[in-house]
Amino acid sequence: MIQWFKSGFSARRSRQGLWGVPLVIAVALVVILSLGTDQFATRENLFNLIAQAMPLLIAAVGQLFVILVGGLDLSVGSVISFSTAILSLDGPAIVLIPVVFLLAALVGLINGLVITRLNVHPIIATLAMQYVLLGITRILRPVSGGTVPDVVIAAVQGSVLGVPLPLFWGLIAVGLAAKILYGSRFGLHLFGIGGGIAAGMEDAASTYGIRVSRNIVLAYVACALFAALAGVFLAGRIVSGDPNVGLLFELDAITAAAIGGTQLSGGVGSLHGTVLGAIVLALLANGMNLANVSPFIQTAIKGGLLLAIVGLQSRKKMGL
Amino acid sequence: MSDGEPACLIEMQSISKAFGPSRVLRDVSLRLRPGSVHALMGENGAGKSTLMKILAGVHRCDEGRILKNGKPLHLPSPREALAAGISTVFQELSLLPNLTIAENMFLGRELLMRGGSLDRKRMRAETAAALAELDLKLDPDQLVSTLSIAERQFVEIAHGIKADASVLILDEPTAALNAADVEVLNRSIRRLRAEGRAIVYISHRMDEIFSICDEVTVLKDGQFVGTRAIADVTPDGLIAMMVGRELADLFPARSANLGKPVLELSGFRATPKASAFDLTLHQGEILGLAGLEGQGQQRIMRALIGRHAPAGGTLRLHGQALKFPSAAGGIRAMARRGLGFVPEDRKEEGLMLGLSVAANLVIGLHAEKPAFAPARSLKGVVQRMTDALRIKTASSATPVASLSGGSQQKVLLGRYLAREVKVLVIEEPTRGVDIGAKSEIYTLLRDFAQAGGAVLITSRETVELIGLCDRLAVVHGDTVVVELPAAEATEHSILAAALTAEGVAA
Repeated sequence: MIQWFKSGFSARRSRQGLWGVPLVIAVALVVILSLGTDQFATRENLFNLIAQAMPLLIAAVGQLFVILVGGLDLSVGSVISFSTAILSLDGPAIVLIPVVFLLAALVGLINGLVITRLNVHPIIATLAMQYVLLGITRILRPVSGGTVPDVVIAAVQGSVLGVPLPLFWGLIAVGLAAKILYGSRFGLHLFGIGGGIAAGMEDAASTYGIRVSRNIVLAYVACALFAALAGVFLAGRIVSGDPNVGLLFELDAITAAAIGGTQLSGGVGSLHGTVLGAIVLALLANGMNLANVSPFIQTAIKGGLLLAIVGLQSRKKMGL
Repeated sequence: MSDGEPACLIEMQSISKAFGPSRVLRDVSLRLRPGSVHALMGENGAGKSTLMKILAGVHRCDEGRILKNGKPLHLPSPREALAAGISTVFQELSLLPNLTIAENMFLGRELLMRGGSLDRKRMRAETAAALAELDLKLDPDQLVSTLSIAERQFVEIAHGIKADASVLILDEPTAALNAADVEVLNRSIRRLRAEGRAIVYISHRMDEIFSICDEVTVLKDGQFVGTRAIADVTPDGLIAMMVGRELADLFPARSANLGKPVLELSGFRATPKASAFDLTLHQGEILGLAGLEGQGQQRIMRALIGRHAPAGGTLRLHGQALKFPSAAGGIRAMARRGLGFVPEDRKEEGLMLGLSVAANLVIGLHAEKPAFAPARSLKGVVQRMTDALRIKTASSATPVASLSGGSQQKVLLGRYLAREVKVLVIEEPTRGVDIGAKSEIYTLLRDFAQAGGAVLITSRETVELIGLCDRLAVVHGDTVVVELPAAEATEHSILAAALTAEGVAA
């Protein structure tokens, strides 16, 4: 246990990245905000914080899947907006919700196939998807409006036995991702494929009989499904469809993963690091709002933090 | 097998394969019998690795077919080969650095618990057992990135054995292993043979071939030369099959007359503890630093180009006293005075693999110019060097990475020859180079010396030092213990000199 804890700070012997850094920052932020402000440690603010953090956390977990194989998904934000737009259409929840996930899986499938079959760079492939999907979303819902099914609203707002419902969303998403990434062959293969790509041995994984392309496609499908989950959650929060609600979400999700110690070259990263990265971003936003810091300066600080943390960890230092 | 028609486990019939315009295999056949170790030999580029990659499902053959127990096999990808019981230990290390030993060991054939999740406990235990069989004391949970090259090689071998395949392909498994490690490996190979498996063994080391193999098949230029029982061939006979000539023919005649001193080291001490020595390299001479591996040959070489700071001594180049480049000027200062350095690891330190043959050849000429000087294409130089060195390449725009080891080494040499250097300092001039290209490189170096150049080399292959050099300086404990004319040296006398020196020192 102690050994494992140490590995978060010196990533020399682990492929999890320096997740100790966001942990320290998160703890420090909680301490500072609890002591420095009256409003932070209130029930209302903490509920709010959790609800704010959750969509980013879920999207970041999805993003982790593709980053592990050396990819990126810039269509995450559009998938989120698109999902809220679908949910705000007239129709029963029993139809709309499955449709959201089916369409998201289709988006991920197209992303993955374009990248692996047509050999398009992930940034270009998913950037194109971002535009296409944003256009479709704006056709469906040019401006924010409509209402989403009651069941979605009920599942997001409120609490059970004093535990806010959004927390359950996060637990389910992280639990599911943990099962896939650490407990399944698919997850191990993603690490293996990414490690091979980062080490300049693109063919290495396939010589072990791993279906590299298929696994990469599935990673993009997983990413899109998590983005859709984040979209459903957000729809429940804002109670309507909004073509702009997911704007720039993909970049925040990548930032969270990177702050959590995930290497964008692939094969190195962890779920808990990514979750911590999302928590740091949420704490930062929440705390600076409480301290009345201008949103523009907030954005600048976020950029500085990203650079500082990623600058700390070069892949070479880890010998991976 | 004593009956007239020995049963074959695997039969590769009339395999042909071309990559683009270059045909790498033409009508090659190979028969593997159960319970035997089959050596596959040939120069680099003869097609051994390609043939094995076809059997491993990495490449698909253009013509021919593969039979297992008489039934045709279809191998579109490594998956199918693995499923057919064909396991490969590739020449290039292919372990994934960010996975643990256990994860690598079971990659692609993970053990699962009921319910489909990974059974890490069982994989760990089985990995530990497999490592123990190879006398390895490694933690299965260690990341492969933390292992030494030799350890990785062993893990790779353990992976191949663990596959429980009926056919095991070992492509240069001993490249990174020492003699004791090789013995451990041989023990495993004998056990697998006793279990009735068919093993393909690719190696350039004759002693290994003769100690472990039962049969040998020789390829030359992608064509089948012959299959023999090991008992029926000699090492010299094998080399003759591979190159069509004997070993002695590889080396050009030595030079008769030496010119004036070019490079002089005096009172040189490589490290503070080492004793001082003098060494002089003459015009027209090829001087070799011999001795056991890792005794300081590399430090002495690298002191000349500023990659190692010596503890003391003086350096004269063309009669002019200089500071050691580690103290002033670095390698650029030496390069300006006509010294070229060819590092041992041409892929990491020498060539820019992704760039073209032309770019790699002329980069030395460009490096002499100011940074913003227009870079001329120097087509004439490229053409001249490609022809003079007989570099085998489709065009001068071909990336160096796609060339054979021998051609890559020639490109690296060409970079300095194009600059018309006077002194060449070369580590391992023919590492990973096939015998045909070796001979050509020896001739190139000899011609360079005849034309007034001087060459200082190190090599792990003592035979090469003896055959190529005019004079040998035996290095032991970071100092030159004895100098002797190469014509009189033998492997035995060099070893004796090195080891006697150790006795004196102790």
